[in-house]
Amino acid sequence: MVTGSTEPTLPAVVRHLFPTIAGLPLGPLLTLSLRSLAGRQPRLFERLGEHRSACYFIDPVDLAFAFTVIPDGERSLVRVVRKSETATSSVLIRGPLLTLLGLLDGTLDGDALFFSRVISISGRTEAVLALRNTIEDAELRPADLLGLHGHLARLVDRGILGALNVARQMTDRNPGCEAPEA
Amino acid sequence: MTNARMELVCPAGTPATLRAAVQAGADAVYCGFRDETNARNFPGLNFSGEELAEGVRFAHDHGSKVLVAINTFARVNDVDLWKRAADTAAECGANAIIAADIAVLDHVAKNHKQIRLHLSVQAAAATPEAIGFYANSFGVRRVVLPRVLSIQEIAALNRAIDVETEAFVFGGLCVMIEGRCYLSSYATGKSPNLNGVCSPPEMVSYDDEATSTAARLSGFTIDRYEPGEPVGYPTLCKGKFKAGGKTSYLFEDPVSLNAGGMIAGLKAAGVTALKIEGRQRGKGYVTEVVRAFRKAVDAVEEGGDAIEIDRILAGQSEGARQTAGAYSKKWR
Repeated sequence: MVTGSTEPTLPAVVRHLFPTIAGLPLGPLLTLSLRSLAGRQPRLFERLGEHRSACYFIDPVDLAFAFTVIPDGERSLVRVVRKSETATSSVLIRGPLLTLLGLLDGTLDGDALFFSRVISISGRTEAVLALRNTIEDAELRPADLLGLHGHLARLVDRGILGALNVARQMTDRNPGCEAPEA
Repeated sequence: MTNARMELVCPAGTPATLRAAVQAGADAVYCGFRDETNARNFPGLNFSGEELAEGVRFAHDHGSKVLVAINTFARVNDVDLWKRAADTAAECGANAIIAADIAVLDHVAKNHKQIRLHLSVQAAAATPEAIGFYANSFGVRRVVLPRVLSIQEIAALNRAIDVETEAFVFGGLCVMIEGRCYLSSYATGKSPNLNGVCSPPEMVSYDDEATSTAARLSGFTIDRYEPGEPVGYPTLCKGKFKAGGKTSYLFEDPVSLNAGGMIAGLKAAGVTALKIEGRQRGKGYVTEVVRAFRKAVDAVEEGGDAIEIDRILAGQSEGARQTAGAYSKKWR
């Protein structure tokens, strides 16, 4: 089984490309993206049931900031927050960024990652399970989040997924990258 | 050996997993509705009526069948939920309903004669007399065998009955007589039999403590894990408890079933269908397991030897220790 200590994290050079928390436009952009996805695929959010109003604290351990996500369909809200701002969250999910992205695009098995402690989860287990099953069924591609279709969507998917693969290969070759303190 | 090819019956917790199982080579998939009528009633899992209809169309287009599990036991004065589930499954064109409750079996037998009835493992029917009762009363065509029989007992059973049998070959393993486990009810007030959920997730917590992580169910500590040690989902029957001054897995070790090496034996014993457990598992896992068992079943059907089957199934595990369960008759 994979253990947390061998799971690749972002190389330092990539981490430094991310801006600090101040002035990040990521929150509004991701909010817009999620709401737009809900408009196009409302059934996707129905699977969450009552847990669509839960607040998920997503903490990529190799970044300097975290996210809170309320996946409430067209009222979804994503905020970029400090790692200490966990008080209002129902669920805390922590793990390396590439691993968390792998969960989103379905290339990695959330159960295996949790049980082998590559990712850690605390809070309301039923909300985590609902989110995990919803993401499993959604089969999301990057283009879905960006609202793209047709040839452009295929091009973007190929580009982003290819880049993620390269990043994973790079980190596989450099497993010793040190994650910043959570 | 019997002549008919064995059917590979695979789990589908979501529409995406249904498609994955079909594409990986499932002869049939089994699934349930998003409510208490099926024994995998977990948040975010299962199908709406609309999703089931789409899933049936997809499966049929690819030559696979869909079996709908409506296999919990109906509550007093609330049987309509179970009846409506059966009606919806029939309207969606499902090939069979898997049921255990006599009220549900009776409703399907009287109102949906076109649909096959399979007796769920939850009914724990393991004798010719019990199976005969269900076959004669409701026209049950197949019985899913409780995981307490050896291959010899299955062979003897098949000689005495004239309905098909389906045997679990892979996945989670319960130690109790199926359909009669009350352990989860004692701790949480909910059970797989009535609510469709063993160890309901809203009562599960993982608590980081000074030197370990405690997995708890409704406040009861079920197991503790050292830092870095793989954790498990806290189910009472596989918990570690102290009794007589000794800490151990009191009821059952946390092992999962793998009877992959016994496919030929099960065929020789007259088994019609092989079932993979795991509707709660993701599509990556389902794809991998179904693909391996597809190859293994095909190899057995073509006369492959045990070494070849072992090679095909090497590496298949649920991430836990494995057992051949009662099939090898080392316990019970």
